Amino acid sequence: MTRFRLWFAALALFAATTAAAAESPQDIVAKADAIRNPGKPFRATSVLTEYRSGQPADRNILVVYSKIDPATRQFRNLARYIDPPRDAGKMVLLGSVLWFYDPASKDSVRISPQQRLTGQAAIGDVLTVNLAIDYTASLVNEETISDAAKQQRKCWHLDMKAATETATYNHVEYWVEEGSYDPIKAKFYSDSGRLLKILYYRNYLERLDGVRPTQAVIIDAVDASLVTIVDFSDSKFQDIPDTWFQRDYLPHLNPE
Amino acid sequence: MRRRAAWAIVCALALPTAGLAQVDNDLDRIPDAANTQQSAQTLGSANRIFYLQDDLIATARRDDLLVAFPPPPVAGWEERIFADARTQWALADDLTLVYSGRLNLRAEDGLEFPSHENIRHDFREGYLAWKIDGETFLDFGRINLKSGVALGFNPTDFFKTRAVVEPLSADPSVLREDRLGTLMLYGQHLWEHAALSLAAAPKLTDPSAVYLNTNLPSFNPVFDRTNAATRLLAKGNIELFDDFNPELLAYSEDGHWSFGTNLTRGFGQQIVGYVEWAGGDRPDLADDALHYGRDTGTIPLAAPLPLPVGPARAFQNDAAAGLSYTTESKITFNLEYHYHQSGFSDADWRSWFGAGNLHIAPLDAELWYIRGYAADQQEPVARQEAFLRADWQDAFIQDLELTAFVNADLRDFSSFAQMTADYYLSREWTVGALASDSFGSRRTDYGSLPGSATILVRVSRYF
Repeated sequence: MTRFRLWFAALALFAATTAAAAESPQDIVAKADAIRNPGKPFRATSVLTEYRSGQPADRNILVVYSKIDPATRQFRNLARYIDPPRDAGKMVLLGSVLWFYDPASKDSVRISPQQRLTGQAAIGDVLTVNLAIDYTASLVNEETISDAAKQQRKCWHLDMKAATETATYNHVEYWVEEGSYDPIKAKFYSDSGRLLKILYYRNYLERLDGVRPTQAVIIDAVDASLVTIVDFSDSKFQDIPDTWFQRDYLPHLNPE
Repeated sequence: MRRRAAWAIVCALALPTAGLAQVDNDLDRIPDAANTQQSAQTLGSANRIFYLQDDLIATARRDDLLVAFPPPPVAGWEERIFADARTQWALADDLTLVYSGRLNLRAEDGLEFPSHENIRHDFREGYLAWKIDGETFLDFGRINLKSGVALGFNPTDFFKTRAVVEPLSADPSVLREDRLGTLMLYGQHLWEHAALSLAAAPKLTDPSAVYLNTNLPSFNPVFDRTNAATRLLAKGNIELFDDFNPELLAYSEDGHWSFGTNLTRGFGQQIVGYVEWAGGDRPDLADDALHYGRDTGTIPLAAPLPLPVGPARAFQNDAAAGLSYTTESKITFNLEYHYHQSGFSDADWRSWFGAGNLHIAPLDAELWYIRGYAADQQEPVARQEAFLRADWQDAFIQDLELTAFVNADLRDFSSFAQMTADYYLSREWTVGALASDSFGSRRTDYGSLPGSATILVRVSRYF
């Protein structure tokens, strides 16, 4: 019996390494990226609801315009606040250079990557990031984990290290379902190795010519009372000229 | 023993690879209420912003001024309710009508009630915006055109002069929120890595006298504030290489040309550096103010002048250089150095206080006129200043934003400081408070001001 268990363990380990050899961890991450977001320019409305100690505490609504930068193969995002009313019309341009635009002052202020994280628009940015570009992945092993609906999913467990200066987080753990390449869960860590956020993707529905997650659950690992739910709706492909992604365009964006 | 070791190896290998389910306690933190998909169907519009605000302000006066302040004195209290709107209407596919303005109801210490001064409308913007194609835009009407990358002082913000009416805060970032646009034709063309903008603003009236709180027009677009000279602006930027995208500006006011540049650069994840410069032929502040006072009738032509006035213009430089730094705890600091060559020199300050020591009322009025003129022009009196601002979101508690800044004259190290707290009670309601004070001895820039401490409380309702 003991010999049988040893053989079984060795076989399982062999199977995992063989799968990894057949498909590189980087390929797995790239396929999961393609599930989360399409390759064509699109816009989506994001409803961000903050829950504190289980109760809804705050809500922000943004329209995010996303297009891949051919130079970096990373998404550039233009996020426009719709709600709350005090922030309506404010915009954050999230490209290689970051700008914040306030229609009240008609003023654009350049912001740092760290300052981007102080606003809710950063969440939309993180959710469109092509992880395969910003991180180098390695396979830890295969695991069965619970998804956000507490259903068991057989996943590749990937460990990802920041590979570019633009990577928001130093280190990410990532679980991608085997076969479907659906991203299930991610854990984001700071430079010091501190766990910052746990993210679940759920509610897979038809969206932007594919079955994609329509909700992200972000559990704050630092503030134990905080959970943010991001709902994506009104997603559609849209031609987005490259001129949109510069500071001088921001005062002209009034799509309604 | 060997058997136990073998079991340990089996467990170590088999548990992760054989796929036993992990226990995820974090899932228990997902609220039940979050299991419903949220929609954005009940949205307002980002193109229409309307809010009401009530402000109550109390100001303490200094009564030991070296240079007596002319009447009317600084108001001891003020109550203001206003309705602020920014909205637009699509007239055609590519043609939009934009309006931005504020209707104020106000009462203050020393202001007659009831009178037309109790109601006032700020017509900030009203223009037609034509989107010729996705890259070319042409706007015509009253347009608020802002330039500059610094926070505390913008040498290249050429259309700022006389544009701010009755500010409720001295914070430079707030001053820009309620300023009048200039009647102009404004065109812009964008390329993928470049932009070119041209603005032409005609002269509609002769320059008018600097307004006091007690003689502000009620319903009047006051184009005399914004269109009292023929002004042209050309500005363009091009991304020459990664993160090097300088903006160059050329500006003419009644034929006098100024030039400027703006440059920003990121340093790592937390720091942005920026430099802003403008230079052109212009008189010194005292010369400019006293000539303006005479030209507009505030200072009688025959009146003796308190400071020596030179007729010559000379090339003068204005500059702001600084950096922003954001911490992981959501605090953003801006530290800047400001240089305003036409501001008061040491000799100007000595002359200013020296003339004030004579205690001749008409001269005192002229001395204060110079400083009022500088404020009207949105320019510092000091030649060199340091500016430090901090903005802290979710300070101590969620939805509390604290902002503080200090402006220090580097000649005498007097300073002006202001702190603001805004608490976002709900998506509609915000309450806030502001406190400011100036520091320095009586013979310093900020220590010589007639108003010392100010306290303001406010409540806002957004729709």
